[in-house]
Amino acid sequence: MAAVQDGPMELDAEKEAKPEILSDGTSNLSGNTASGTLSSSPLTAAPAGGAPKMEDQQTLIAVLQFLKRNKLSESVEILRREAGLGEHQEGSQATDGSGGGKGDGDGGDANSLLSRVSITSAAAPQSMPVKKDQPDVSVVLSAYSQQGDPPLYQVYYSGLKNFIESVLDCHRAELSQLFYPLFVHMYLELVYNNHETEAKAFFDKFSGDQECYYQDDLHILCGLTKKEHLKGNEVLLDFRTSRFVLHISRDSYQLLKRHLQERHNNQIWNIIQEHLYIDIFDGMPRSKSQIDSMSGSLAGEAKREVNKAKVFYGLLKEPEIEVPLDDEDDEAENEEGKPKKKKTKKDSLGSKSKKQDPNAPQQNRIPLPELKDSDKLDKIMYMKESTKRIRLGPENLPSICFYTFLNAFQGLTAVDFTDDSSLLAGGFADSTVRVWSVTPKKLRKVKSAGELNVIEKESDDVLERIMDEKTASESKILHGHSGPVYGVSFSPDRNYLLSSSEDGTVRLWSLQTFTCLVGYKGHNYPVWDTHFSPFGYYFVSGGHDRVARLWATDHYQPLRIFAGHLADVTCTRFHPNSNYVATGSTDRTVRLWDVLNANCVRILTGHKGPIHSLAFSPNGKFLASGSTDGRVLLWDIGHGLMIGELKGHTDTIYALKFSRDGEILASGSMDNTVRLWDSMKAFDEVETDDFTATTGHIHLPDNSQELLLGMYHSKSTPVTHLHFTRRNLLLAAGAYNSQ
Amino acid sequence: MASPKTVPKDAQVMMQILKDMGITEYDPRVINQMLEFTYRYVTTIIEDAKIYSTHAKKSNVDADDIRLAIQCRVDQSFTSPPPRDFLLDIARQKNQTPLPLIKPYTGPRLPPDRYCLTAPNYRLKFLQKKVSSSVGRITVPRLSVGAVSSRPSTPTLGTPSVQTVGTKVGTPVSLTGQRFTVQIPSSQAASVKSATPTTPTVQNVLINPSLMGSKNILITTNMVSQNSSSDSTSLKRKHEDEDDYDAL
Repeated sequence: MAAVQDGPMELDAEKEAKPEILSDGTSNLSGNTASGTLSSSPLTAAPAGGAPKMEDQQTLIAVLQFLKRNKLSESVEILRREAGLGEHQEGSQATDGSGGGKGDGDGGDANSLLSRVSITSAAAPQSMPVKKDQPDVSVVLSAYSQQGDPPLYQVYYSGLKNFIESVLDCHRAELSQLFYPLFVHMYLELVYNNHETEAKAFFDKFSGDQECYYQDDLHILCGLTKKEHLKGNEVLLDFRTSRFVLHISRDSYQLLKRHLQERHNNQIWNIIQEHLYIDIFDGMPRSKSQIDSMSGSLAGEAKREVNKAKVFYGLLKEPEIEVPLDDEDDEAENEEGKPKKKKTKKDSLGSKSKKQDPNAPQQNRIPLPELKDSDKLDKIMYMKESTKRIRLGPENLPSICFYTFLNAFQGLTAVDFTDDSSLLAGGFADSTVRVWSVTPKKLRKVKSAGELNVIEKESDDVLERIMDEKTASESKILHGHSGPVYGVSFSPDRNYLLSSSEDGTVRLWSLQTFTCLVGYKGHNYPVWDTHFSPFGYYFVSGGHDRVARLWATDHYQPLRIFAGHLADVTCTRFHPNSNYVATGSTDRTVRLWDVLNANCVRILTGHKGPIHSLAFSPNGKFLASGSTDGRVLLWDIGHGLMIGELKGHTDTIYALKFSRDGEILASGSMDNTVRLWDSMKAFDEVETDDFTATTGHIHLPDNSQELLLGMYHSKSTPVTHLHFTRRNLLLAAGAYNSQ
Repeated sequence: MASPKTVPKDAQVMMQILKDMGITEYDPRVINQMLEFTYRYVTTIIEDAKIYSTHAKKSNVDADDIRLAIQCRVDQSFTSPPPRDFLLDIARQKNQTPLPLIKPYTGPRLPPDRYCLTAPNYRLKFLQKKVSSSVGRITVPRLSVGAVSSRPSTPTLGTPSVQTVGTKVGTPVSLTGQRFTVQIPSSQAASVKSATPTTPTVQNVLINPSLMGSKNILITTNMVSQNSSSDSTSLKRKHEDEDDYDAL
């Protein structure tokens, strides 16, 4: 170790100089990553358990080569002098170095990887090179010399395969998780270094072994055969730069490590060190079914510490409504049975206790708009309706009313109902938004300013007089977008409608005048979904640019940007207490974000396809998500665990809704069915002990059949949206598909 | 789908590409659309490459030209979303600012007017004006504005309205009950130049622009009465302004 320790300063200085050089040299490197490393082990890198002297020499030589390549001749001289290296020792490395050198260079632009060799579960993922210890240096610096010999990749992979097949059953399932990320990374390395034929051969030989749920990704991969193809593909670049997370038990990990070190299989070891994050847990190895239920996402599973932040999933306290008008008081008295002399009428749905629910956020954690008089009237209506609500359960299933859009040649792409089910909005592929009145009451818009002048302003029914009777109609069309409308959302006070479209804007429409008020430009790419907050004022949108944005209606720029997904954000929903936003994405994860500081508080993996629907339970504790793989997954937000899996649908699930009291979950899918599930039972059966709480490995009972309460077919109409009325009648909407 | 015998070779290639990418179900017209796209794209690239090669005074178009042509086109048409680290960076910046407090009782919460789509998007052309020599200057202009139908002027109620020298107000916002002016004062304060009290009901021909989203008529209904009175206070004619605007 002497040689290296002599010049620690120098080495550090070189390393510090390296980040600046890199960022100047290759312009596309981002500022915050320090080194662009493509691949891992050179042929020349010493085996991990090998002689230290040899290793240090290799390291120094690698540093020398790097400096030479960047034409830092003075530094080269100094280093050579200090380390006592001779010319001859570099000769053998030169050929390899030059071979691999050109492969990197400009190619390393967006592939700026910060090589992190933290394998222990407590390791922090971010660390600058200067703080690294010895083994890491060799990995970092040796990236610039030749990596593994292309034909040998197949040998390495087959070797690992044979090893894993020979271990004990209990370890095999866990170690098989390695196959997919290793395969993809090795393939991408081959492609990146322009070994096209070897890459193709490698792919053909081993792609069939991968899990079935990765087939879509493999399709995309097999279309990438050249380095240029990789440049434009953001999703793959993110895959390369982020670490694929695996949960492996300690025993299995020891086995693997021992094997790789014995066999001097540096290639695989280095890939594991660079690209994989192995979250080690102590305990029983997981079974195949457990692993299968949690895996499938683009970045593996979620690190355990990610899901440990406290989430305030409780509901906000309902405000006490003072009833100002006399007629309301009369009616209120009838249903509440309270004496009239009471000044305030307590919300019958709110909690009776004055104590703060420990799981609920503070009332003023995020600023929320105050209640206007019209809102208070709405709340009173809500309470009245909820007294007439039907109690649902396994014996008492809801009736379903299906609104079929006939002759929707424009292509129905999004539907939303108001909370009181009086209005229905549809977004279409011809860029229009249409609003219908579901009740017999027609849609009216406010009169023009001139007409408003002549009305009598002091009359009692001024609110009716301002409405224009002449143009009252069942439906109104809103024009304005320049691309298909993919998401619509009503505001809780029924005054506004939001629509998000492929043209990259989110538009706010007034439902008083049926005109467009604001166009929020922020995403420059299609916006797949938008959702108003349950209290109004805030709304969230998610799109193709892989972020979700939080807006307020009176700010033309977003207030928060939720960045972190590896692929498009396809579904965005607010939590009932408006403090959290859930986003589902094409990278097959669901993330929960805190509105206050935009931190990602939960990452939930387990889906095998892009997620297209999300639903929070009314009590705020649980989240249901549906995706293209036809499964509905139930999550406990507080613990960040998967607590249920509902299998049954055969096609993408686009609609999910919990009933008003959370007893029934309704799901609608492209397979033309609506299914009702017993969510009460699913949530009751959750048992968490210490082990599951710490590791998140829960064994899910396969009880989808028992939980299924009913399945209802429509006549070839895929279900686009589901909505429970305040009295627990289920409304469904979809466009009739004549094929 | 057409039988393979009768399908041209290009279309067969396209069908094979779709199959390789895992797309099994598609409308038959998708192949035509994909082929059209392919032809157009390849033609554009090759034409660009020809230009580059003649610029470099080469006799033939070679791979470098094509590569350059592709690179230049990629930035124009096939933009991809920004890279992840860039997004994380801007997200970090944006997420540091605390959430703004919400002012109570502000009516419809919309961004500043220049970011809204509520401004009038038309100009009115003033046709004729009649100046009466009696008290004040009452004008009853007639209008002819395209598709907008002009209604007969409602009788002026009460006292005749008064001319004001309207100030040129910059913000072209919140259409009030104005009929024939181009620039409409947004705030009532701006238009109060004359000392005479305004009558709340000055009636004239009214235009009903179809695309108007008047801020004043908006959202919370309890604002209406307040707004209509504010409408009326600004119902002043500005002849001088009209002349100026006509001259524009």
